[in-house]
Amino acid sequence: MPTEVPYAADAEISLTFDELEVLQLQYEKEEAQGHVSVQTKFNYAWGLVKSPRREHQSQGVRLLQDIYRVEPTRRRECLYYLALGNYKMGNYEDARKFNNLLIEKEPTNLQAQSLDTLIEKGVAREGYIGMALVGGAAAVGTILLASLVRRTRK
Amino acid sequence: MSESSPELVNCKILLIGNSSVGKSSLLLRFSDEQWLPEDESSATIGVDFRVCKMDVKGKKVKLSIWDTAGQERFRTITSSYYRGAQGIILVYDVSNRDSFEALPRWFSELETYVSASVVKILVGNKLDKEFSRQVSEEEGRNFAERMGMQFLEASAKTSVGVKEAFQEVVEKILETPELWASKSGSGKKTSASTSTGGATGSIPGSISLDAPLTGEDESGGCSC
Repeated sequence: MPTEVPYAADAEISLTFDELEVLQLQYEKEEAQGHVSVQTKFNYAWGLVKSPRREHQSQGVRLLQDIYRVEPTRRRECLYYLALGNYKMGNYEDARKFNNLLIEKEPTNLQAQSLDTLIEKGVAREGYIGMALVGGAAAVGTILLASLVRRTRK
Repeated sequence: MSESSPELVNCKILLIGNSSVGKSSLLLRFSDEQWLPEDESSATIGVDFRVCKMDVKGKKVKLSIWDTAGQERFRTITSSYYRGAQGIILVYDVSNRDSFEALPRWFSELETYVSASVVKILVGNKLDKEFSRQVSEEEGRNFAERMGMQFLEASAKTSVGVKEAFQEVVEKILETPELWASKSGSGKKTSASTSTGGATGSIPGSISLDAPLTGEDESGGCSC
């Protein structure tokens, strides 16, 4: 019974508005008190990265980078979600960089392997689109040129 | 409702339990018939997810299995995945007393997040470590009975009992009409709450994500 395509659950499914708000309120409350715990920060960053909104994703990535710097014990999950956040934003280079750091540390990590496949697919898709755009532009150019040539000959 | 849709039935199952009891290993054995030795397997980050198909009593079932991280630090995160689950596989390690002692806490979490009709099974994993067993089969069975769960001992390493565990849950889910009556019926509805260091004595910043739910059901997200 083989499993289906690789899948990173957190890449696809976002929290409800209320759920994200719970995490945000906790974060803001602690911020107002002058100290945000790593756990609170991480929870909020995770919720933001899962969001479909780009400004949320990039805010989540920023928070994760902070945590990565100050909390060595949280690095593996930061790397995973940094990769995931960048993947969602289409920053495949950065996504690959973070995910590769995780794979370096944990070569048999199945979640990282699965995310790697997704990132490479994203890169390939982008490549196709790029090629299509270049190809399309070339085609348009040729047509224009041809019509110009025809016009000047008339 | 779901009954009338042709052939394929969707089921959402959640694996929960302490860190290192072998939740991911059970899933890997079930889905890919593989096994990773302890030094090669890594603690799940947040949640992992797999889709498998199986035949149960002539029905084709598409299983979305959510494998949650057991580590305390992911508790807030994992709690958000209970929504819409029809079956729960609660796992402990027969060679680790602590993982068994933690079961009441896991069970109270279940009572918070899922409705009573959700199918629950207790699985004592690592049966291959018989020589260092710390929890007898009887203890496991008694606890499961008291909590109204099914019970089974298994080994992801030798694959004993693994398929049976998933099979039993799915069969029971198919037999439980409440789980199919309405799509929104499988989640409890309570208000969003924040608690720092609540009854579980958990880490600061650990909060309940049990926000009010709508009838939305994100059926486990399939790409097909």
